[in-house]
Amino acid sequence: MKDSKLRSDRLEFYTEDMERLHTELDSFLELSKARAALLIDRDGHLVTRRGDAVHTSPESISALVAGSFAATKEMARLLGETEFTVMFHQGKRDSIQLQLVGERTLLAIMFDDRTNLGLVRFYAQETALRLQDVFESIVGRRHGEELASNFSDVGEAALDELF
Amino acid sequence: MVQINFAQKQINAKIVYYGPGMSGKTTNLEVVHKRAPDTNRGELTSISTDGDRTLFFDYMPLDLGTIAGMKTSFQMYTVPGQVYYNSTRKLVLQGVDGIIFVADSSPGAMEANLESLRNLEENLNEYGKSLATMPHVVQFNKRDINGAMTVEEMNAQLNPHGVPTFEGVAATGQGVFPTLKGLASLVLKHIQSECGGGRPQPAAAASPAADAPAPKSEAKPAPSPAPAASGTGLELDDARAPRPTAPTTASTPEPVAHAQAQAQAPAPAQAAAPRPAPAPAPATAQAESTYAPAGTSAAQLMRQRSATAGARRARGDAQPQAGATRARRAAPRQAAERAPAPAKASALKGNLFVVGAAVLGAGAAAAILKFI
Repeated sequence: MKDSKLRSDRLEFYTEDMERLHTELDSFLELSKARAALLIDRDGHLVTRRGDAVHTSPESISALVAGSFAATKEMARLLGETEFTVMFHQGKRDSIQLQLVGERTLLAIMFDDRTNLGLVRFYAQETALRLQDVFESIVGRRHGEELASNFSDVGEAALDELF
Repeated sequence: MVQINFAQKQINAKIVYYGPGMSGKTTNLEVVHKRAPDTNRGELTSISTDGDRTLFFDYMPLDLGTIAGMKTSFQMYTVPGQVYYNSTRKLVLQGVDGIIFVADSSPGAMEANLESLRNLEENLNEYGKSLATMPHVVQFNKRDINGAMTVEEMNAQLNPHGVPTFEGVAATGQGVFPTLKGLASLVLKHIQSECGGGRPQPAAAASPAADAPAPKSEAKPAPSPAPAASGTGLELDDARAPRPTAPTTASTPEPVAHAQAQAQAPAPAQAAAPRPAPAPAPATAQAESTYAPAGTSAAQLMRQRSATAGARRARGDAQPQAGATRARRAAPRQAAERAPAPAKASALKGNLFVVGAAVLGAGAAAAILKFI
């Protein structure tokens, strides 16, 4: 039930949530020696990232990661697997591991030859559990801040300017 | 699903261009990419075949600027239109917040349009959603084709929910931005209705960039090869007040070649969290962290890990994912009864095809590695 609520509720992040997420990711990067870590919503939205700057659009990477993971999850289901929780892509210079965090988010870890896959996986698994706890606490919490009441009116004006 | 980050003052929404094969979905997005101000758009990522047919999706982030204190951006996707790719279409629809249905006005294309619309409804239902409650607009594309179906006929068949419609010739750019603006307006209203309620905020400090590039004028309607039937040609795509759905009001007509005239206050392309250098000291030294400061041996961490796993088991959370996958396929909340039957023949038939989808995933992975 908790997981289904996590899947269905919209995620809203506040300062303390981001601090907790950053704390976990920073710890992970320190221990694993990975280059960067991205937290990506299953819909393709980038939640946050830590570590070295990515050379190009992190939004594009997020969309590709989410799409890639969604495709393999569907394959797992049809093949009778519960799911594939980890994916790994090895490049010549850099590699990327995708780790499922609960049912809602993906942890994308970029690393190079400063570390190794075993070390990354070792710490990633624990990090994923801790991140899952953070997300569950986010969903279970009462909503605080809200959007401004004139959000859509201001948005209309912004659209007129942009388009 | 809209993602709201109050810490970073950011809202992200997912927009999908949907429609039958070759209706102009990718063309729409390419036009947006080409003509939107550089400060407002990201890279256009396409996973397509050698023949430039969309294989998995096209993607482009579009920054709308700061709206009522929130940096608002749309993640824009297209889907492959061919019937064969239904499973991948379904994946792309996950978490969608707004849909632009691109219909093909070519003579004889009505059946394909209808099939695509039915397919869209089915796929949305799998996620417990429906077109009736989903912000969406319809674009009648390819209005320049000889013998194009009439707008009235298309509207009658392809707009059961009475949403705003727009005419377009995406190949020349006409109608692309009015369509997008129409949907954006609906999506923002939808976000407001779901999440709003606070105090009013001052309008976005969006002073048009003085040095914004002049709008490209290729989209000017001038003598367009308008189909004779309509009589008013493609100017209608902007002059026509979009037919409002219940929550919207008719918008005033806009000039055609408006588009990207003024950029919003330059919105940073990187909306995500700041990127610090690797933290010199882990911040988890405090409290109940499993991670000890750097220098702790792996053996110690293994012990800590075991303790954490034991604690989780005691809480009954040892396998957070166990059994969740089946529940995942059961649509959340309102549509619990829609849990699909995985044993359907169609699902079995799709096995090989979805293995192919995994190959697409590998293609996406290759694209990811190219980026990094």
